[in-house]
Amino acid sequence: MLRGKVALVTGSSRGIGRAIALRLAQEGADVVVNYFRRREAAEQTARDIEKLGVNAMVIRANVGDTDKLNEMFDTIASSFGRLDIFVNNAASGLPRSALDLDAKGWGWTMDINARAFLLGAQRAAGLMEGRGGKMVAITSLGSKLMWPGYIAVGVSKATLEALMHYLAVELAPKDICVNAVSGSFVNTEAGLIYAEGGGEVGEDAPWKTTPAGRMVSPEDIAGVVAFLCSSDAFMIRGQIVTIDGGFSLAALSPKDKGGEK
Amino acid sequence: MASAEETIKDIIVKIVHCDREILTPEATFQDMKADSLDMVQVLVALEDEFGIEIPDEEAQKFKNFGDFVSFVEARVAEKK
Repeated sequence: MLRGKVALVTGSSRGIGRAIALRLAQEGADVVVNYFRRREAAEQTARDIEKLGVNAMVIRANVGDTDKLNEMFDTIASSFGRLDIFVNNAASGLPRSALDLDAKGWGWTMDINARAFLLGAQRAAGLMEGRGGKMVAITSLGSKLMWPGYIAVGVSKATLEALMHYLAVELAPKDICVNAVSGSFVNTEAGLIYAEGGGEVGEDAPWKTTPAGRMVSPEDIAGVVAFLCSSDAFMIRGQIVTIDGGFSLAALSPKDKGGEK
Repeated sequence: MASAEETIKDIIVKIVHCDREILTPEATFQDMKADSLDMVQVLVALEDEFGIEIPDEEAQKFKNFGDFVSFVEARVAEKK
């Protein structure tokens, strides 16, 4: 489906980003694996990608650092000369309440989670010039639903979603499709830190299930990203596809279904 | 050329905004009033400055300024 395409997945050493990188590779794309702190994990992702018969390149960059972000795109430009798919996945944030979040934590989170998408999309659009391409931003339900300690990330994701809408319209004439994928609690190392920070842990914690009967997996997200990167999704522009097993629609915990007590 | 210790002090003072005088080998992160975000930025700055890698697992073992200096000096020596 994506044979011959070049994809960049930011923050793809582990978790959702790794699953997306592997899925795009499985579909035939060569993948640039970006990481910040986990080199060994990134190199493992790259090895797993190469086992699928496509090329992988590992680039370290804190996407919240404009110089490093630009260096990463410079490397992609000199190595591949183009980019077909840009998945903005890298995210960071401090678990703080509204009254405890300081300017430094706000700036750090916004730079990595939101500004990097704007600046990355600008560079990616240049590498897609004349041929079109796909951009997918990974967001979360925390942009609209409040979770303890999630304010910095939640607000940055709301910004990311607004950016995605603007980019979708502005880049549409260039045949660049821009969309977002949003998940509820995803079963990753980072997801669990925030979920458990909400104070409810253990097998019965409400975030551990959905009306669909289980948590969202990184592979659930990756499958939809791959679809949005396919030619079948050409006319889907500026949409947020929610993958939450019905979590955000259920007024009661799935465990309280049908009034059974 | 500045010693590794002096360069590390430069980096910490710039990022954490603490007084240079408090950076004795025994100075803890609490003494520096450094939070987890500061520490990530210090680690990355040290990695870039010295061309070394400081895995998070190693950094979590650092208890004070002296641990930073020892680790960086050891990694720099390994490179030579």
